[in-house]
Amino acid sequence: MIKKHKILTVAIISYILVLFISPDKLIPAISGSKYYFLEMLQILPAVFVLTSLIQTWVPTKVIMKYFGAGSGLKGYGISILIGSLSAGPIYAAFPVCQTLLKKGANIKNIVIILSTWAVVKVPMLINEAKFMGIQYMAIRWILTIAAILIMAWLTAKIVKIEDIEFIEEENYIDDVACILCGKCLATYPNEIKVVDGKFVLTGESTDELKAICPMGAIK
Amino acid sequence: MSTIILITVAVIALALSVKRDKKKTLGSLKQARNMMKSMLSDIVGILLLIGLVLALIPAEVIEKLIGGESGFFAVVISAVIGTITLIPAFVAFPLIGSLKASGAGIMTLTAFLTTLTMVGFLTMPLEIKTFGKKFTVVRNLLSFAFAIVIALVMGVIL
Repeated sequence: MIKKHKILTVAIISYILVLFISPDKLIPAISGSKYYFLEMLQILPAVFVLTSLIQTWVPTKVIMKYFGAGSGLKGYGISILIGSLSAGPIYAAFPVCQTLLKKGANIKNIVIILSTWAVVKVPMLINEAKFMGIQYMAIRWILTIAAILIMAWLTAKIVKIEDIEFIEEENYIDDVACILCGKCLATYPNEIKVVDGKFVLTGESTDELKAICPMGAIK
Repeated sequence: MSTIILITVAVIALALSVKRDKKKTLGSLKQARNMMKSMLSDIVGILLLIGLVLALIPAEVIEKLIGGESGFFAVVISAVIGTITLIPAFVAFPLIGSLKASGAGIMTLTAFLTTLTMVGFLTMPLEIKTFGKKFTVVRNLLSFAFAIVIALVMGVIL
């Protein structure tokens, strides 16, 4: 329970400490939090609905299918699409990139996917505009895209495809890639269980299970 | 304004989705609810901590440490803090928005925001496992350097 709500636990303990050390700060702290909570409440449902709609209609797996030998402008375009339409933090992109490397993706494409995955997300950009202003968001976005293209080119100069090595495992759910959408559990309730807030396989992995996951997290 | 845009975009997307396939839409709404549920405690926790930090640290201190006049060193420190923290990007925006209101500078905030999403110290072992040491080190170092470049340019423009 505590492990699952680590951050919340830390927050509550901090509030209890403040209650004893300087109780007069408690009211401003709570009213400040309340303000941000109400602000977030306006946008969070929309952010999550958009994210899951994108995952339903344009699953990362489907875009990956169009990823050919992965060179040229088409490769860059698809890399940017994969990065900006997928859900989750940057580390959720690692398994996706691993699959693409096997399909012959080059270093430039991988850097573009990882970086756009981290920075270029439609719901996030709107969120950024809300708290920092549209002008700030637009300028940072343009600079970031330029930086990503330069970085991709530089990384490809320094790192060769032979430098990349990876280990492959099977029969598990990659909790890094898993976005906890619950699709697998809803479709195959006997094959999946929830342990400590993470999805795990009860038995061996099958092709049906692998196919149901929009993130390709079931190996 | 941007809240209205976001909600409008979400509603239009939802309507299109319902028109094409009701069952699939229902499934993805469930998925959205599950994702939100699984992150809610983290979100509430972080928002509570933001409120606490802002109540405990006076605006003058924030301005002195990471304000517009705090210099290059503060930008680098902010980039380092962004590198080692691992919080969802969408809760980072209210945080930097509130820091800005308390007098923090554009350069320090941008450096923090960019390294927060692009450079990952805690996820490095995982990245090494996936891509090998050389790729991971080069990508993270370049991202760190470019985060500072982006921050400096932002500071000059805005």
